[in-house]
Amino acid sequence: RHYGRGKHTLRVASRANTHTHTTHKHKRMSFQPYQDNGGTGLAIAGPNYCVVAADTRLSTGYSILTRKSSKLITLGPKTVLASAGMQSDAIMLRKVLRMKSVTYEHEHGKPMGTTALGQLLANTLYGRRFFPYYTFNIVAGLDDEGVGAVYTYDAIGSGERVSHASQGSAQALIQPLLDNQVAHSNQTTEKRILSLDDAIALAKDAFTSASERDIYTGDTLQLLIITEEGIREEHIQL
Amino acid sequence: IRVWWCSKRVIMGDNIMTYNGGCSVAMVGKDCVAIASDRRFGLRQQTLACDNERIFRINDRTFIALNGLGTDVETFIEKLCFRLNLYKFRESRDIAPRTLGSLVSNMLYEKRFGPYFVEPVIAGLEVDKATGAVTPFVTAQDLIGAPCFPGNFVVGGTCSESLYGMCESLWRPDMEPDDLFETVSQALLASLDRDCLSGWGAVVHVITPDSITTKTLKARMD
Repeated sequence: RHYGRGKHTLRVASRANTHTHTTHKHKRMSFQPYQDNGGTGLAIAGPNYCVVAADTRLSTGYSILTRKSSKLITLGPKTVLASAGMQSDAIMLRKVLRMKSVTYEHEHGKPMGTTALGQLLANTLYGRRFFPYYTFNIVAGLDDEGVGAVYTYDAIGSGERVSHASQGSAQALIQPLLDNQVAHSNQTTEKRILSLDDAIALAKDAFTSASERDIYTGDTLQLLIITEEGIREEHIQL
Repeated sequence: IRVWWCSKRVIMGDNIMTYNGGCSVAMVGKDCVAIASDRRFGLRQQTLACDNERIFRINDRTFIALNGLGTDVETFIEKLCFRLNLYKFRESRDIAPRTLGSLVSNMLYEKRFGPYFVEPVIAGLEVDKATGAVTPFVTAQDLIGAPCFPGNFVVGGTCSESLYGMCESLWRPDMEPDDLFETVSQALLASLDRDCLSGWGAVVHVITPDSITTKTLKARMD
């Protein structure tokens, strides 16, 4: 019922216009199990070397959490894992892989090779098919013959061996550059095999370009160079 | 209107800008510019044509490429030609690239709350009447006409992230026309190969003060 004259009416609650339902609409509180911490990794395989690179920026939303977080971990004497995506899942994944590879070493009397670690990662990721590790991984190293091997995976373990790969927030920016320079795609001149120095220079160039255009990539570039002698580390400011 | 908008979303899907696919890039060289695009026209994943023209010649010194929804590309270029004919009548001269950029920006912003789903890329040579000096010029805008003038290269379309990565790595200042052609071609082809919605060949125009060279590239036809 309305009381008062003209436009200014006093609306008095009566049974006619009182809402009788007791439930009220409220925002559904939900827990988001995943977050994207950004970052990018790449790997290039050569005839007797493997170059793995990743940036060290950790972000959430539009903020930077730290500029010094590593995405690379050494899984075996000749194998490195690069994980981009959610950092807590990456840490958990590393722990699980480390546990399994130590068990393997005890059982077989020798450390796991790159191909074996590649398969182990694929199986581990698929084991969590219905609640995945939110990580985008690259396994890189030297295979049993001493030739560079790079395996690239999606979040649920679909992977393959390739000559070059990139994963993470700047994947779309870096992958075509690697296709063009490593695999020599769309070029009519004779293909040349990249030397180790060329591959390192290419990785640095790819990351400097990616840091220009991708906000989640930057700060420092951590490079691991795997050769017969072992694994060498370099740090470059971006 | 509400019903029309809902049904359009059902037809077009979640992203109107990726419905037809396609991409383009423009780069600045030494007294020259290059503009290139792919030739695919599709409906989501289905390819319908492999000879789609996305780059339009405005005059001998100015080209525009339109990425985005195919029907809006056609409509917008027709409206643009209408405005350019009026410009020609009034000014009795060809439009300069920078002025074209302003015109396109204005036309797009007119439709601020119901835009044309096109993202233009403009490339051209600015000629100084007094000295005859030629300055290469590129610009790109979003669908409501916000321009950027980076001075080196601009990209647009479904594989724009890949194009940014390629151009950022391959571009260097003061490239001669032949070098510029190679650089634009490699940047575009490498990016096309990583995008399902772009491809089926490419067209590259290299514009110098004396000539326009048009080349069609045969890439992976898939």
